[in-house]
Amino acid sequence: MTVKELAETDIFSPVTLPCGGREISGVYIGDLLSWVMGRASSGQAWITIMSNVNILAVASLADTSCIILAEGVTLEQEIIDTAREKEINILKSEKSIYDIAVFLSKII
Amino acid sequence: MKELSLNILDIVENSVKAGAALTEISVVEEGDTLTLTITDDGCGMTEEVLKSVTDPFYTTRTTRKVGMGIPLLKLEAELTGGELNIVSRHITEHPLDHGTTVTAVFMKNHIDFTPLGDLVSTIITLIQGHPDTDFRFVHKTEKFEVVLDTRQLREVLEGVPLNTYEVIKWIEEYIKDQYIN
Repeated sequence: MTVKELAETDIFSPVTLPCGGREISGVYIGDLLSWVMGRASSGQAWITIMSNVNILAVASLADTSCIILAEGVTLEQEIIDTAREKEINILKSEKSIYDIAVFLSKII
Repeated sequence: MKELSLNILDIVENSVKAGAALTEISVVEEGDTLTLTITDDGCGMTEEVLKSVTDPFYTTRTTRKVGMGIPLLKLEAELTGGELNIVSRHITEHPLDHGTTVTAVFMKNHIDFTPLGDLVSTIITLIQGHPDTDFRFVHKTEKFEVVLDTRQLREVLEGVPLNTYEVIKWIEEYIKDQYIN
């Protein structure tokens, strides 16, 4: 499934989608950025509640297919602009991390 | 990072790469605050570099396009209601007193405060990895003050490298003893 296809499902809406065609290879969940940086792998969708600009760098380093902001977390406009510039896909959802993970396990 | 001591390792590596002869690592706990200060006499940073150093997409490494040491430390300090400050004097403008000081203030009682971790192992790792560089380590609380200065050790050791097994073991015990007493 691609990031764009995921963004079109009921529980997600896109924040930035510069590379919507990227295939999602799996899922990683975590909020401790240094931990995620070393463990998330290329192509995974990364679910987090962190909203600091550093998440963009972590997503870029780990080469995740997209960041999924869970539990209604929002980003400042400046961070959204940087994400577009760095070509990082971001989706958001009102659902809990657990609900998102359960949902993804059924469709990926 | 999972422990503050891992952040210290990361930040001090920057000092060593900047050619520091002496790097001072100080952890001072006073009331609700914990202040981490890392001061080196390395080449320092230009104002332009200093401005971009908290930007996670900046790095001094060429192998990757983002450098996360300072941005993560800043985030962790701010998560507790603290802050991070950097002062730097570049060698071209300050040929005699160049270097960088990174200061991170944490609110110890905040629920998101990162545990300090194993400071002794961190210091030992640094000395082992950089035996030709000097380190001064201070950990001060209201109850104790731990100090290690490799310059003083060098005087006594008369040329024996600091990363010799027996020396490293001795340093480790020396620091640990100060924590107990």
